[in-house]
Amino acid sequence: MTRTPTGTGPTRRAVLGGAGLLGLGLALTACAGPTGKRDTANTVTLALNRSLVSLDNKLNQFDAAVTVQRAVRQALTAIDEKLQPALVLASAFDQTSPTEWTVQINPKAVYSDGRRVTVEDVKVAMELYQKVEGSFVAPQFPEFPEVIDQGSGKFILRSQEPIVALPWLMSNILITPAADNKAAELNSGVGSGPYVVAEADTGTGNYTFKINEKYWAEPKPTVETVYVRFMPEESSRVTSLRTADVDVIDSIAADSATQLQGWRDVVVESVVGTRFDHFFFNFRKPKNHPLSDPEVRRALSYAVDGNAIANGIMSGSVTPATGVVPQTLIGWAETGKFEFDPGKARSELERLGVSNLDLTFIWESGEFPQDAATMEAMVEFFKPVGVNVKLKQFEPGGDISKWRRGEAGDWDVLGNGYGNQTGLALTTLQGMYASTAEQAKTHDDYHGFIFPDIASLVRRASAESDEAKRNGLMAQAQKKAWDQTPSLWAFVPNAVLAHRTSVQGLSLTPINSYDLAKVTRA
Amino acid sequence: MFRYLALRIAQAILTIFVTVTIVFLLIRLAPGDPAYAYAGPLATAEQLDAVRRQFGLDQPLIVQYFHFLGGIFQGDTGTSYSFRQPALSVVMDRLPYTITLAIAAIVIAIIISIPLGVWMARRQNTGREATASILTIAGQSMPDFWIGIMLVTLFSVLLPWFPSSGFETWGGLVLPALTVAILQVAVLSRIVRREVAQTLQAPFITVARSRGVAGAGLVWGYGVRNSLVPVVTALGTRFAGLLNGVVVVEVVFGWPGIGSLVVRALETRDYPLIQSTVVVTAILAVLVQLVVDLVYPLLDPRVRLGRKVVS
Repeated sequence: MTRTPTGTGPTRRAVLGGAGLLGLGLALTACAGPTGKRDTANTVTLALNRSLVSLDNKLNQFDAAVTVQRAVRQALTAIDEKLQPALVLASAFDQTSPTEWTVQINPKAVYSDGRRVTVEDVKVAMELYQKVEGSFVAPQFPEFPEVIDQGSGKFILRSQEPIVALPWLMSNILITPAADNKAAELNSGVGSGPYVVAEADTGTGNYTFKINEKYWAEPKPTVETVYVRFMPEESSRVTSLRTADVDVIDSIAADSATQLQGWRDVVVESVVGTRFDHFFFNFRKPKNHPLSDPEVRRALSYAVDGNAIANGIMSGSVTPATGVVPQTLIGWAETGKFEFDPGKARSELERLGVSNLDLTFIWESGEFPQDAATMEAMVEFFKPVGVNVKLKQFEPGGDISKWRRGEAGDWDVLGNGYGNQTGLALTTLQGMYASTAEQAKTHDDYHGFIFPDIASLVRRASAESDEAKRNGLMAQAQKKAWDQTPSLWAFVPNAVLAHRTSVQGLSLTPINSYDLAKVTRA
Repeated sequence: MFRYLALRIAQAILTIFVTVTIVFLLIRLAPGDPAYAYAGPLATAEQLDAVRRQFGLDQPLIVQYFHFLGGIFQGDTGTSYSFRQPALSVVMDRLPYTITLAIAAIVIAIIISIPLGVWMARRQNTGREATASILTIAGQSMPDFWIGIMLVTLFSVLLPWFPSSGFETWGGLVLPALTVAILQVAVLSRIVRREVAQTLQAPFITVARSRGVAGAGLVWGYGVRNSLVPVVTALGTRFAGLLNGVVVVEVVFGWPGIGSLVVRALETRDYPLIQSTVVVTAILAVLVQLVVDLVYPLLDPRVRLGRKVVS
């Protein structure tokens, strides 16, 4: 055996091993420490839960995207903290007749390349929003108004029927120079917003924005660089916020928000949102089915302990509904409160002759906060009432849409949410409670909720230019819808975001958005 | 050699063809309709039909299949439904991240697992070897998401040395690569240990010893070198696996690789994106295996590509 002489200093192996370890240490040190993280002075990093596919909303828009897309491209109006339309590219937006709105483009409004915002840009944008297939914006317009140029940046938006919500709806039409606009998503290019795109990697959802030096409005942005990153996993977003790898995260669940509230360098902001999450009954049941009777539906609703779900399972991050649309929306009317009384549920069901009722609840994973736990609670709520609940959970991308449309299996209650980007009760009422028999023929109705009197009230409200009369019509529609007990229970989730204390000026609106130009770095 | 290469390339093409065909059929057998995912839950029947027409989903399956195959030869695998851009370019945007992570992880794994495996082989049936074995088995048993969270807690939260997510600096690569590497080290070191231990029992080792070869020269020059073929095979297989994406690690570290892309594509039934990912990863896997095969003669002169091993 070969022996190494002892007492003559370190062996060759020890020297090589030491050198290897030293090299590894140096390599890791080079990556770690101050150089391991980006210089955060005058930069802000936003982590989004969904990939920002584009900087345009013709086809894609989710809550947080509103913030980012509008940092580059602007609309004539924007929805403010009170859900009212605020003027952005328009300096005036007035109803001059029941079917006409006269708009003046702000003469100061220019794009980042110095070009002026023109009426032609608005006209082309409106045409292109109609041309794309699968747009979520287009269906919100009862009809697209015609753009009539009056010269000097003034134009008329003329429709066949009155569109009272037009200033709200126009907040979703982002304006791009006509020559550069396309009937497709725009990932780069010029806009009139406070930031310009410095780098865009749509595949990874990572973007870098720099200040638009030609930004024309006030306040001027002060954060030099904004990074946008796509981080789908909530726990990763929370950890990254704690370690200051990102500065702002949004769409976080109640337990993460609670966890972050105890962290001294982090602030959690929360406002009641505009989305309506509900356990909607299937209204496509045959007439002799118990669920076709509104009294049975009402009796079943007594079995659900809404406060236990809101405060226990969802940690107070949602507000139980007191109507058929979110209470934050303009035009909302209080119609009643969900009552929890299992004894009453049982006695009412007995009185109505309903026994041995089996119900199937369906939902898609992630559709609302704590979805699985809430559905399991539903099963327990109905046990003492003598109703057997079966759960059927769909994974995203599965067949739930076919089930919802009545084209697959039968179901009784759907756990689901209905978003609202306009801030108007009218939009939600039109979508959920104004379906027609004509739509039912092609399964385009909202789960069989077809009540011609309610639909007629909603239609009249949408064409009524007098605000008081419109609100009166909407209140009637909401009362009639509530009397039908469309939902077993419903709630309005909060819009929640968390940010480092060093990042300020985030005024979160109920549509889960904020103005990036107002964000500052301490 | 050229005959062998031609044969392997033909095999590779056949493998890719069979893989993409199976995937093409399987994703269409799964529940879910891309038209709903594209047009949204409130789309009308008319809008759904329009979307199906737009993407050719109203065509018979065989027509869709030949359209897809024809597209591959032209480098066009369709437009991603969710990204609304060429699916192949979406995959290629993500590919550098996946390759970077896979290479970093496999390099770390090689640096650690080979010396560790040799060390264990030389100390068979000792207390130290048993301890190392327990550690490697533990490393193999620990879920990668847990390892990732622990590393983030230790090196991002408690000791703020490395970023917890993203890849904006090289520091961002350290924790995800270590997370992936730990599992690879656990597996590879045990393979190295087994192979080297077996080789060290071989008659030619005794012959070498009798000629005065000993110590590191014997172990590394004779033992390890003659154990490398199965080790390289395992390395190639594991590297090819990493190129398919490491979904959990990508999710934990917000790493924009191919794995998380596939998950998203499956959720939205984005057929072109799923198919493009499969085409790209299948090509990569086949290439890696081909390289591994070409390396064999360099490691073992007895190996002649395209012929039987000379014994």
